[in-house]
Amino acid sequence: MPVRLSDRIGVGIAYVAGTILIVAVAVIMLWLIVQGLGTISWDFLTGEPAPGTLEQGVSGGILPAIVGTFLVVAFGMAVAFPLGLGVAIFLTEYRQPAWLAKGTDTAIDLIFGVPSIVFALFGLAIFSQGWLSFISNPVGDTGMATAQSFFCSSLMMALIGLPPVVRSSQAAILGVPDQQREAAYALGKGRLTTIRRIVVPGARPGIATGIVLGVGRIAGDTAIVWILLGGAVLQAPPDGWYLPWNLMDFLRSEGSTLTTYIFFSSPAGEGNSPGPAYGAAFVLMVVILIVNIALIRLSRRKIGKR
Amino acid sequence: MDPNDDQQRLDERAKRQEWRHALDRSADLRAAGDPTDPTAVAATPPPPPAAPAPDPLAAVEPAPFGAAAAVPAPPASAAEPDPVALAQPLAQPAHVADPADLVLAARGLRVAFSGNEILHGVDLDAPRGGVLALVGPSGCGKTTLLRSINRLTELAPTATIGGQILFDGADVYAGGTDLNLLRRRVGMVFQQPNPFPMTIFDNVAFAIREQAKRRPSRGELMPQVADVLQRAGLWDEVKDNLDRNALSLSGGQQQRLCIARTLAANPEVILMDEPCSALDPRSTARIEELIVQLAGSLTIVIVTHNLAQAKRIADYAAYLLNGDLIEQGIAQQVFEDPANQSTRDFVAGMFG
Ligand SMILES: Nc1ncnc2c1ncn2[C@@H]1O[C@H](COP(=O)(O)OP(=O)(O)OP(=O)(O)O)[C@@H](O)[C@H]1O
Ligand SMILES: [Mg+2]
Repeated sequence: MPVRLSDRIGVGIAYVAGTILIVAVAVIMLWLIVQGLGTISWDFLTGEPAPGTLEQGVSGGILPAIVGTFLVVAFGMAVAFPLGLGVAIFLTEYRQPAWLAKGTDTAIDLIFGVPSIVFALFGLAIFSQGWLSFISNPVGDTGMATAQSFFCSSLMMALIGLPPVVRSSQAAILGVPDQQREAAYALGKGRLTTIRRIVVPGARPGIATGIVLGVGRIAGDTAIVWILLGGAVLQAPPDGWYLPWNLMDFLRSEGSTLTTYIFFSSPAGEGNSPGPAYGAAFVLMVVILIVNIALIRLSRRKIGKR
Repeated sequence: MDPNDDQQRLDERAKRQEWRHALDRSADLRAAGDPTDPTAVAATPPPPPAAPAPDPLAAVEPAPFGAAAAVPAPPASAAEPDPVALAQPLAQPAHVADPADLVLAARGLRVAFSGNEILHGVDLDAPRGGVLALVGPSGCGKTTLLRSINRLTELAPTATIGGQILFDGADVYAGGTDLNLLRRRVGMVFQQPNPFPMTIFDNVAFAIREQAKRRPSRGELMPQVADVLQRAGLWDEVKDNLDRNALSLSGGQQQRLCIARTLAANPEVILMDEPCSALDPRSTARIEELIVQLAGSLTIVIVTHNLAQAKRIADYAAYLLNGDLIEQGIAQQVFEDPANQSTRDFVAGMFG
């Protein structure tokens, strides 16, 4: 037990802070469960949204929203993860030329700090150019593109998913002891081999944390979905969208995610269906939780047999 | 390992026995219980010093800022001063019979960190085969000297290095040196055992794997892995547990694993920086035994703070003080009858 008064005060503050955090999280989860669980049914999870989003009870399902969230997360991270890991390796293992390292560092901080709606707006300006209509759709014969598609939104999602991947990986790579690098060099291994076989494997848990944070950021984003995917919540995806020959068209089309579904069906949006909103929020939370646990589990590989 | 290699190693070793000076370590080895080491019984008398041959190393271009200021190391065992040898700044050390038998030599080696010079023009001679012990007070630059040989020093961005390290007569600091090849031929064992967080098998295989263009399978690697683990004296303890995490081994086992890993790269020289300082006496004894065994087929340069250990295992010794090489030569000579007063004080202090 700490003896000094200042120590006791410090410990007290820590206890209070920790308790407040736990209570807050518990209340939010409980609230979501209580409110949302009632809505959740097989039909809700696998159905398509109905025009009845405006009326309680007949609002249909959230399957397209789940698929949409999955798609922007998968495509966004498919870009953000390799890029982010590369940047992290550059910032820790190379740092040459110095100006580039400094510039990258600042850029990452900026991206981390700027709200996603700013990037969404910027993306709109870029992707609406006619020659980029192959990742969305042309707008009549105006020579412009809609700039609203899974491709467009995923590209901007990659941007906001990048900083957490970089920062987490960077910290993890710095945590790999220099003795390990020296041991590899002393065995006649080059820098690249050392990074691939020693540094990155040693940093795996931290890199996984970065992916988890990035996934959370992308799955939770609304602004980019709103502007670059379209608020097409009532729009059911075309029949057979999952078939390979339809997939390209589907990915160039508008869509929705869980976040836009929540916005729409909540009393704040055009719907007045708090039930489905809570249900979707609960699903979103569970999905992110599962991704969290799975990634952290996978990254903590056991070395050999006991 | 192919059996011819082993035969060759034995031949080389036998050859070296002919000119190597006798070492009084039979008693120690008997205490350590090693009946296999032939040096333990072969206490041949020292061969007569060969006539001083013209030194090819002396003809090498002096280092940019090294040679001029380099103090010639006092000839350790020269009974009568040789005028030719004294006239040359890079004199043939008296204890080496044939200059071609120098596997490593530092010539006017200067190392500074952020302009603060740590080594002031060191001339070190490592004869081929046997154990060379580097001793000296803490902070005198032993580690720095050792790490400059396999060019790890330059990993510190603040380091500046001048002078030469001759490995088989060629300067490793010359342009065009294949760093990775150099570090495979001159392996290193560190003070803290530092196995990779992988299985025991993978630790050893790592050294072999990336060298091959194709990724060899476990089955293909197994004979080599088993061979080096045997040579490192670890095989019997781990042969049933090759897939265990290497970090679950004891400190002494980890250090032997690190030695095995180094052996897997097939080095001609192994640099060891206080390899036993983190280990208990039993593990230390095992590693000393291993070092003596390995010295039969390759050269070992070892930094040690333990003079008793140095006496037990070293064939040659070099004494470093504040970045200057004060004395080097036959271990017995340096430890028991040093030419230099400061060596004498150091040696006395270490025993006292
Ligand atoms: N990377 C570095 N940057 C700056 N100074 C260094 C660096 N490495 C070593 N030095 C300095 O060089 C000097 C010699 O260090 P070194 O480690 O070679 O000594 P040592 O003889 O091995 O000592 P010990 O017996 O304690 O291991 C020390 O003063 C140390 O501070
Ligand atoms: Mg040291």
